[in-house]
Amino acid sequence: MPESSRNSPKSVDPGRLRLDGDQTLAGTLLGMRCLDCGISVFGQAVFCQACSSARLEPVDLSPAGTLFSYTIVRVPPEGWPGPVPYVLGEVELPEGPHVLAEVIEVTHEALKVGMPVRLALQEVQSGESGPAFMVYKWAPATKSAPGNGEV
Amino acid sequence: MAQFKPGREVVVVGVGLHPFGRFRSKDLATLAREAVVEALKDCGIGWREIPVAYFGHVYYHGMSVGETALASLGLTGIPIINVENACSSGSTAFWQAYWGITTGMYDVALAFGAEKVPGGPVTVTAAGSPDRYIGGDHMMAGYALRMRRYMEETGAPASALAQVTVKARQNAALNPYAHRKDTFTVEDVLNSRPIADPLTLYQCCPTSEGSAAAVLCAREELGRYGLDDSRAIRVVAASLTSGNYNGRGSDHSAFSPYRTEPAAIQAYEMSGLGPEDVDLVQVHDAATIGELQQVEALQLFPKGEAWRATVEGRTALSGDLPVNTDGGLLAMGHPFGASGIRMVHETVTQLRGEAGPRQVSNARVGLAQCSGAGDVTTVQIFAR
Ligand SMILES: [Zn+2]
Repeated sequence: MPESSRNSPKSVDPGRLRLDGDQTLAGTLLGMRCLDCGISVFGQAVFCQACSSARLEPVDLSPAGTLFSYTIVRVPPEGWPGPVPYVLGEVELPEGPHVLAEVIEVTHEALKVGMPVRLALQEVQSGESGPAFMVYKWAPATKSAPGNGEV
Repeated sequence: MAQFKPGREVVVVGVGLHPFGRFRSKDLATLAREAVVEALKDCGIGWREIPVAYFGHVYYHGMSVGETALASLGLTGIPIINVENACSSGSTAFWQAYWGITTGMYDVALAFGAEKVPGGPVTVTAAGSPDRYIGGDHMMAGYALRMRRYMEETGAPASALAQVTVKARQNAALNPYAHRKDTFTVEDVLNSRPIADPLTLYQCCPTSEGSAAAVLCAREELGRYGLDDSRAIRVVAASLTSGNYNGRGSDHSAFSPYRTEPAAIQAYEMSGLGPEDVDLVQVHDAATIGELQQVEALQLFPKGEAWRATVEGRTALSGDLPVNTDGGLLAMGHPFGASGIRMVHETVTQLRGEAGPRQVSNARVGLAQCSGAGDVTTVQIFAR
């Protein structure tokens, strides 16, 4: 992993999101694949969730998936640093895992179960003066047409 | 996987409940003790005859709250175990009391639970966790994700989901212990403040304070303690499960949510009863969608059919399978540590025929189910 400069934000969770190179908005979702039973999980693991094998290898997960479900959260949990309301999406990756994250660059009307989405990174400030993090989000796979305003 | 060797028959002899709501002047230990006193009075056993106690609670109110609550009844030196198992903490305490007796270790056991849940959205992770920044740690948002899948796959209209609350409030209006007793129309429910679309405020259980307690006994020892067999209700199954790999990690699908199905299968196996034998049910309806998914996972209705059964009134007090007869989490409120034992209280009260205006006629078999984070699920089956 390249050394980040002092001022560039860190990954919200280096076990789940690797920041790639010095392009601030490039990154990869991380997972582990079991060499015995073949399943993949999102994030780090020491033993396989399905068969308890310790023979796991790190894998880069696909940067694209489909929207399995979504909700528009109007009362956020304590500590939520983003806009209210926000769209929370559950995305199914081709490798199997479901990944929960905010869906950005989409109008509420355009949301649809089954729509293709792509990984998108965003810098998030925690609190008034807390550190900034790079957080993984989802965005529609097809760029919104101009005039299709963001929320 | 299941390996059961149930031993002695176990009965619930006493139940006690403190009303659910907000009680700012009572600390957690006081709340807890008041339900225990009710349960002891209900069966007439003396506190000093209780040989073991299990206490369910989640939020931190200092160490060893179970000991503090019971110390105020007089110190007796018995083992007291504090249990944290998320929303299933109370029902896990009950599970432990059951196994303590059926295995022959104790003749009598006390299970109790209490909680003072803070207001606002309920989260699972600790403050500062990355999930707070990512936005996925939000209990009701999780239910909303499930609800959207369920509606998409079954065609259930929003009004069917709202009917779950309408029914819960009707039942609670007949229950002096409930946190919320005012009744609503479907429109009131749908027009209440949106929390996480498609969930509106009245489709989410209130965060509450309250407590509940149950005294259990080996049936063969009832006489020795002078306990009344005619009001004793048999515990014919008590199962407890945790998460299993589902291929997905975060999973908010329409069917087979949580670990209810395996917990139910274990409980049916233990009891020798099936879904067709059940006369009334208490399930974990933290949100309206929860009730529909749980009764389907318990195999009480076919997958995707519970919403229709609800609209047809089949789950109402007058229906063929009344669900959440005391108002459930949606109207009783949800003090985590107490909820599972509150369900025991309602089931036992119904099976005794002591439920007054909300009595289900000819109730012989009752089932109670509780779910919590960590995919913890408990199922108990009771019989008259
Ligand atoms: Zn494996």
